[in-house]
Amino acid sequence: MTPTRTFLLLLAAAVAGAPSAGAQTPSGQNGGARALAPGVTVDVNPAPGSGSATAPAKIDETALRHYARTGDVERLEAEIARLRALDPAWEPPKDLFTPQAQAPGVDETPFWKLVSEGKVPQARAAIAEQRRQSPSWQPSAKLLQELDVAEDTARLRQASDARLWQEVTEIAGTRPDAVSCARLDSAWRVAEAYGELKQTDRALAIYRTLVSQCPKAGERRDTLYKASRYLSPEQVRELAALATTANPAAGEDYTVVGRAQADLETGRLLERAGSGKGGALSPDDLARLEATVRDRRDADGALTLGWYFQQRKQHRPAQEWFALSNQWAPSDRAAEGLILAHAGLGEKDKALEAAKPWRGRSPRVDKAVLAVERPAGRGGRGGDGPPPGPSPLDQALAKRDYSACLTAIQRMAAKSGMTAALAQQRGWCLIELGRPSEAEAAFAEAQALGGKTGGKTAAKGSGAAPAGKTEEEAAYGQALARLAAGDMAALAHDLPALPLSPRHRAEIRASLLAAEANRALEDKRYHDVLRLLDARKEVEPEPRNLGILRGWALYNLHRLTDAYDQFKSIDDRLSTPESREGVTITRKTIYHDWQ
Amino acid sequence: MRCVQQTARRAGRGPLAGLALAGVLVGMLAGCNGYMPRYTTNLPGPWQRVAPSDLPVLLPPGAPVTVVAARTRAVGPVYRSYAVVLSNATALAGENRLSLDVQAVPDSLLDALVPPERPFPVPLYTGETLAATLEKEFPDMEATVADGARRNRYGDYDYAVASAVDGAGTVSTCVLAWQLLTDHARVLPQRVDAVRLEWRVCGTGGDPRPLLEPFDRLTLRLGETVLDADAAATPDRRW
Repeated sequence: MTPTRTFLLLLAAAVAGAPSAGAQTPSGQNGGARALAPGVTVDVNPAPGSGSATAPAKIDETALRHYARTGDVERLEAEIARLRALDPAWEPPKDLFTPQAQAPGVDETPFWKLVSEGKVPQARAAIAEQRRQSPSWQPSAKLLQELDVAEDTARLRQASDARLWQEVTEIAGTRPDAVSCARLDSAWRVAEAYGELKQTDRALAIYRTLVSQCPKAGERRDTLYKASRYLSPEQVRELAALATTANPAAGEDYTVVGRAQADLETGRLLERAGSGKGGALSPDDLARLEATVRDRRDADGALTLGWYFQQRKQHRPAQEWFALSNQWAPSDRAAEGLILAHAGLGEKDKALEAAKPWRGRSPRVDKAVLAVERPAGRGGRGGDGPPPGPSPLDQALAKRDYSACLTAIQRMAAKSGMTAALAQQRGWCLIELGRPSEAEAAFAEAQALGGKTGGKTAAKGSGAAPAGKTEEEAAYGQALARLAAGDMAALAHDLPALPLSPRHRAEIRASLLAAEANRALEDKRYHDVLRLLDARKEVEPEPRNLGILRGWALYNLHRLTDAYDQFKSIDDRLSTPESREGVTITRKTIYHDWQ
Repeated sequence: MRCVQQTARRAGRGPLAGLALAGVLVGMLAGCNGYMPRYTTNLPGPWQRVAPSDLPVLLPPGAPVTVVAARTRAVGPVYRSYAVVLSNATALAGENRLSLDVQAVPDSLLDALVPPERPFPVPLYTGETLAATLEKEFPDMEATVADGARRNRYGDYDYAVASAVDGAGTVSTCVLAWQLLTDHARVLPQRVDAVRLEWRVCGTGGDPRPLLEPFDRLTLRLGETVLDADAAATPDRRW
């Protein structure tokens, strides 16, 4: 498809969409500007001063013709919609794309070009220079207005980037035409400012106007995503309903809004299920969530559901969801859940079977197996009676209730004495409770107890680990505890002498290098950051967060192209606020685009 | 010495010969690796282990908590921080600890003019930061900030109390106490500008007083003598 054809198609679509927008033109004053809150309006129609809705003869087509001349389809489309909203009877001029004879006097095209490129100071300077050369010439009112709006929009953006929310709302109050569907980014920023200021009613008013007035389905969908950060689920539902039904424009598929709403709803329910906050899900919510997760074969969602049931001691559905997650995308996290769910059901053999593919390869699976394998000294099986159900320790671990884990271990140690395996398990639970210094002491105790019994530490337990393995596990636990406690320097010093397996040693070394690289970035030692990250890369592939760190080190070393490439490659794989920030700031620095 | 030679060549060519000469001097002083700007010495150093006997603080005899581990780090030449992890008899999340920051009076003009960033905020807490800290320190617990201050050997301090009951009906109580010592007239020696203390301890039972008493009676050892504040009566307490 040629650019010209695309251009005409877009133009046709814009013209076709215009009547519906015009049908919503409010009949109030201010040329259709829509009051959102005291002091703030979103100008969905004409800009003040650009003419009255009842005076079509005054419609200024300067900008329209400029955009047509320069081929700026997006702005042309927005301008057509704006003018149609201003006067429903107005039609785009038929000669829009016919080369126009320039009116006598000064050609404003270069100024418009600068404005559309965001080079407002340069545009002002060029106009001043032109006026010096032609003192009788006056720039068009439309051009001057566009310059003012562009300046205020830039101020608004800067205030928003600096998180000066009050200032954002003040600018929006004095310059309502900087906030419109044609300037959607500004409108979003103003709504965000109100959201941050906890004035959600004002934020809601802006979002409501945007989803009902902006014709593009994609814009409505993105508005919904942005609004979900500040509004309650009910308010988001209300917005979604409005976005799918209000002022539909021809050619737009608003089902994307419905899908976005479903995504948000699923995300909310998954978050609630995962965090455990807000209590149990209602049967309806749970059924909806289960259907969505099954529909999408969402392995992460299945995992969340697995833990949701596991925490409620509903081990059977938990086991089913963990199994599904593992089936859709095998992972050690799914295996961990599966092991603990089987343990909760008293199915130890199945638990160990589920662990097989990951044993020795995943610390979380190894830990789960430790929880399933009965620690020595726990009393053991007595005689020929039926196998006992899960112990309080098993139950605590299956529920990920680490406080209960400590209590259970304390009781068991008081009854039968502390063992290496128990002390080690205590260390893992203390780490989970954010008590790394005590965890380190517990692992040291495990190591000492393991050494004392000389390889017979856990020999009575069916799944007992040999003493060497216990010692290695304890040393590994100690190293992790020291990492968590921030004891980097001493750990780096001790690492070569620690009795760790090569895999665990590499893992600890990689963690130490990552921590040191973070510290180097804080100290502004950017060459060191790269040196340390390169060394770490030899041990393990670089994770995303360290890739971002590398990008900032490159940026601060003024290796801007390398930094841009680094951020871009991360952003292309998965775009997040951090990666986008890196890409944007680096690009702006490269092109001096700080308008 | 390639870097120095390059600088010298530039010095011969350009009009900024004086500036380049300064560059040469800096280069000669610093070697080929350039020089590290002064701010880097003002950044927090790495945490290092310290033996309990080397800590500048002593817990009173019979305290219900003991020192599990201790670490220290310097922040520039002015501040030294200590993180003392204390034993914890509860099954609650989070470490019991005593945090201590000592702010020295700078002993050089440069240190006084370019001080490092203070490792603790003043005021120590605002309503908002305290609420956030209590939420972080004592998740899922009901926390209450005491109406009145309490007094230890070195002056008044403020504190909050949080409590929780677990599934087995065991009651646990936690306290967070914070204090900024700036009394140069009596308490602090001349070399010490300020001392900041924070005491975060959880214990079993519903009474917070045994958890606060060690903090009331702890002893500071900062090289020169730290004097007790005048032995005033403990003000009215809620607990």
